Amino acid sequence: MKEVVIDSLGEACPIPLVKAQNAMKEMEIGDVLIVQIDHSCAMKNLPEWARKEGHNVEIEEVDDAEWEVIIEKAK
Amino acid sequence: MDGLKAVLNKLRDNEVYKQWFKNPLTYVMGAVLLSILQIATLAVTGNPWGVSGVFANWGAWIFEALGGSVDKWYYFSSAGAQNTLQQGFLNHTGSMRNLGIIVGALFATLMASQFKIKKIKNKKQIIAAIFGGLLMGYGARIGFGCNIGALYSGISSLSLSGWIFGLAMFFGAMVGSKLLVKFFM
Repeated sequence: MKEVVIDSLGEACPIPLVKAQNAMKEMEIGDVLIVQIDHSCAMKNLPEWARKEGHNVEIEEVDDAEWEVIIEKAK
Repeated sequence: MDGLKAVLNKLRDNEVYKQWFKNPLTYVMGAVLLSILQIATLAVTGNPWGVSGVFANWGAWIFEALGGSVDKWYYFSSAGAQNTLQQGFLNHTGSMRNLGIIVGALFATLMASQFKIKKIKNKKQIIAAIFGGLLMGYGARIGFGCNIGALYSGISSLSLSGWIFGLAMFFGAMVGSKLLVKFFM
């Protein structure tokens, strides 16, 4: 199981989402992607996309206006 | 101080607080509120909601404060525009509304404990922000409106121009997306 971290702090939508989509293409089932974001709309569109694709998603508020979206590739 | 901290920590997990201040509104809720408030704006001020036109006035006031004059500028040449400029910032409903948006957004982000000054990641962001801002500002003025004044208020006033603006903006956004992927991925 691999863990990939994308530092998307300071990047506005839709950059975090597109970066996550590109990273997921290179990953195997069971791998975990952690996207660090500080743009609140990415907190909405990233999990929405990942859940629609059928992956497991968790959001963690790590600091004021900073989140980690944790996506486990499920298929 | 510890007592205050305990109260705030308790508040953070309070369901009512979370629902009102922390969690974002749904898109539908936002759309309904925008619709009601823009009708209120039209009814109270007699003008449809606009945002970017106000900034042209702010620019003119700053330019005048520095000793410049915009009397001869075509954009401000109409009697109405001159009158608005003479009435001043405090008597300008659009300026008050824009201030309200800025102060309201600050209030909302502070209440959600999500205020953050974001770092600039690279020089490309600066160039894109300046270049994009200039293009949007210039485009909004020669188009007599932005996505609020021309698109949103246009369509909600049953004007065909709003739809044409929307169509043009759609193609502009497509080009913008391609540039974004090319330069920021």
